Amino acid sequence: MELPRLDPLTLKKFQRFRSIRRGWWSAIGLAVLIGLSLFAEVFVNSRALVVRYRGHWYFPTYGAFIPGRTFGLGYDYETNYRKLQEKLEAEHDGDFVILPLDPWNPYENDLRDGVYPPTPPSWKDRHYLGTDTSGRDVLARVVYGFRIAILFSLILLLCNYVVGVSVGCAMGYWGGAFDLILQRLIEVWSNVPFLYVIIIVASVMVPNFMTLILIMVFFGWMSMTWYMRTVTYKQKTREYVLAARALGATDAAIIFRHILPNTISVIVTFIPFSISGGIVALTSLDYLGFGLPPPTPSWGELLAQGTSHLDSVWIASSVIVAMIVLLTMVTFVGEAIREAFDPRRHAVYE
Amino acid sequence: MTSLLLALFVLLPARARAAEIYCPASVCERGVLPKGLRWRANDADPTWADPRAQKGGTLHVYDLSFPLTLRFVGPDSNDDFRPYVLGNHVPLTYFHPNTRRPIPGLAEKWAFGADHKTVYFKLNPKAAWSDGHPVTSSDFAYGLEFMRSKFIVDPWYNDYYTKEVSKVVIYDERTFAIVSAKKRTDRDLLYDAEIDPQPRWFYTLGPTWAQDYQWKTAPNTGPYQITTIDMGRRIVLTRKKDWWGRDLRYFKNRYNVDRIEVSVIRDQQIAWQYFMRGKLDGFPLELPSFWHDKAKGPEFDKGYIKKLWFYEDRPLPEYGMWLNMDYPLFKDKNVRLGFQYAMNIDKVLKTVLHGDVERLNSNTEGYGPATNKTIKARPFDLALAGKYLDKAGWSKFGPDGIRVKDGRRLTAVVTYGNPAHTERLVVLKQEAKKAGIDLQLQLLDDAAAFKTMLEKKHEIAYSGWAPQEEPQYWGQYAGVNAHKTQTNNFCNIDDPVLNKLIHRFRGAYTDATKDALARDIQKRIWESACYIPTWKQAYFRIAYWRWLKWPTPPGTRMSDDPISYPLAEGEAWDGLYWIDEKAKAETEAAMRSGRTFPKSTVIDKVYKE
Repeated sequence: MELPRLDPLTLKKFQRFRSIRRGWWSAIGLAVLIGLSLFAEVFVNSRALVVRYRGHWYFPTYGAFIPGRTFGLGYDYETNYRKLQEKLEAEHDGDFVILPLDPWNPYENDLRDGVYPPTPPSWKDRHYLGTDTSGRDVLARVVYGFRIAILFSLILLLCNYVVGVSVGCAMGYWGGAFDLILQRLIEVWSNVPFLYVIIIVASVMVPNFMTLILIMVFFGWMSMTWYMRTVTYKQKTREYVLAARALGATDAAIIFRHILPNTISVIVTFIPFSISGGIVALTSLDYLGFGLPPPTPSWGELLAQGTSHLDSVWIASSVIVAMIVLLTMVTFVGEAIREAFDPRRHAVYE
Repeated sequence: MTSLLLALFVLLPARARAAEIYCPASVCERGVLPKGLRWRANDADPTWADPRAQKGGTLHVYDLSFPLTLRFVGPDSNDDFRPYVLGNHVPLTYFHPNTRRPIPGLAEKWAFGADHKTVYFKLNPKAAWSDGHPVTSSDFAYGLEFMRSKFIVDPWYNDYYTKEVSKVVIYDERTFAIVSAKKRTDRDLLYDAEIDPQPRWFYTLGPTWAQDYQWKTAPNTGPYQITTIDMGRRIVLTRKKDWWGRDLRYFKNRYNVDRIEVSVIRDQQIAWQYFMRGKLDGFPLELPSFWHDKAKGPEFDKGYIKKLWFYEDRPLPEYGMWLNMDYPLFKDKNVRLGFQYAMNIDKVLKTVLHGDVERLNSNTEGYGPATNKTIKARPFDLALAGKYLDKAGWSKFGPDGIRVKDGRRLTAVVTYGNPAHTERLVVLKQEAKKAGIDLQLQLLDDAAAFKTMLEKKHEIAYSGWAPQEEPQYWGQYAGVNAHKTQTNNFCNIDDPVLNKLIHRFRGAYTDATKDALARDIQKRIWESACYIPTWKQAYFRIAYWRWLKWPTPPGTRMSDDPISYPLAEGEAWDGLYWIDEKAKAETEAAMRSGRTFPKSTVIDKVYKE
């Protein structure tokens, strides 16, 4: 298959983007973080990476759970690999366990008699960012919380844009009464207080990942329509659209094959800001207790814990630093894209 | 002569008014007092207040929000501030906070009718309203009419006083009877068929009643009256210097402080700072983090602030998890038993709750002889959990460590409404996983969670019932309340043996029979394994500045946190504290000079079993 050739203008935009260094490096950093988070189980997990036991090799990270009895521990539930590591090390039989860097999963409570969570960061206990009020590892909660937040935000973005862009294009393309009526409808719809709806919904059912996205798309698709409507109006009068129409192209073909590719710069410019918006929205909902149900790892829930336990400064500071870093990176990328796609640099006015 | 005539003139209308008895036919009738009643007064039980108590001073406490109204009924009246209002409504009789026997309140004497429905009362001739009116039988007739009135906009009370209380019978100005709508034991008659007198000359019932009396201070019969309402900021109650009850046996040496000042501080952490600066006299330390971590430092070490942990022996709330037996999974008793043994309540107690709280063993604790002490809650035991779950056919494990049967995972949803309990539930969830059970947590808004349970849409209800004076079983465990919505039978249990026991319990009128039946009922509920008891907190904990003084022991069997409840509704353990002004001056001087006192943390177990 032939690779799509980049037209010189796009190439120019890309080069321009690359030349804005903090945006470029932020983009790389973000991509790496997202990529790594998809395999978070390898880095932050209570399951061992490798176990060598009596001549057998085990790779527990992915796949079915291995009961403790397999390794000569007297129980049938999932092996505690941290304990197993201590045991095998003490036995000096050449058997060993290799644990992930942070050997905790985000759900387990590290509760010991006489020690009351939250506990401060400790190298010895391998809680590098301490534990939260239920004794769960803060680092693990931050990492898995990141994965959920970023995936949530990306899916939300996709859904919002599919609906928003389609409706916006249609409004701009057909114009007239259709546009007028839809505009009023959107105005009315935008005034439904989104937070109240979420509170009402969350009080009668437990929203899960998908229902939360659905609710948020329900009230979040409108903003894109305004921009798309305007650019489509502009593009519609261009000669190439008239040419396509003269050739007998259908409305759908004109919108999706001709107009949409020419409005891509508008869409792309908005993406980073929508991503940060999605993350902030999920975090604030979780903070208020109307987001994903417990015990889902979530930044908002950590933030809520942190603010009510201000003396356990490691909880709030971990999640606040993580949020600042992430949102700053996204904003840098956004700025760079906006700069690179700035029409004043590329547009040719006739 | 002229002056005598004048005096007669002044006296006459007052007499005429006193003689007039208010007895509307809808709630009241006139009668002739039956002969041969055995009047009781119980005026010889030990007292529990301290003769050393001094009158005077101001008690400073706080509330998280300003009350929405000063009415005690009607919209928004059931809030945190209500104990201050209702704590000044003296009931006809109290229950002694140590012996639990009835003792006089507004009534000087009382007698029970043979029909198990009627209680006769003779009012204390001294009893008077804060505006000087004497308390008379008419006030009780009006009290019943008032509570049944649609104008108070309080359907719960309307319903209660229609269904539970039948009428008032007036014999004379100070003698009357209250007739219960159903037969009850003597204790229950005093407790459940009680009427609060209402001041007829003060209220005008009408469609705008709730608005009209929103911020009005009604006359009351208790030791304090609200004197200052500083909207949104504070409310001050002032002691009545010549209160009618002050020298009576059971009131003496109680209600000592001259003023109770309730300030609104909208955040607990900020309130704590106020307390540490001596602007609040006491602070509840119910939360482990407050008792163990916050209540530390120089003020405590130098003995300026003292800590008290007081164990009571009062009916305890029934906290627990109810397995819905209409949910197919829990139809099998083996599964219920498996769940019982898979809940690691003990670990929650030891870790999340700092070991301060104990395991609740049955659904009836703190009820004296009615508590079946042979019943012990089932412990966390993976071997037993496994045994019962295997027996029920859940013997295979899925790849995630959760048991499976016919392609279905062993999972159940726990419905709850208090976000503060999430940290307990996540521990239960993790521990249950070891038994191959997947608990899913469903945190709903408090009201929505309760609605889900009432509609029986829950699989496991995680909740609690407030304690009553007498144990209650019919609503929660009787078969007639199973399999239907809007009832409290969260187990949906319909067990013929249990039904029979509960039926007999409801029809018993002697304490001994009732207690014996209560013990059998607890046993049967334990056997059904549908109720997992969780925790009990049979104590209150407070910190207080050393000028705040208490009797020895500092509370009674029935006491509750006296800082959160400086006055309590219808209970006789309140108002025991006093302020030692000399100690206050001494402490304030010591804080300036650096003088110290012995550090004091008292853990009082006088009433701990």
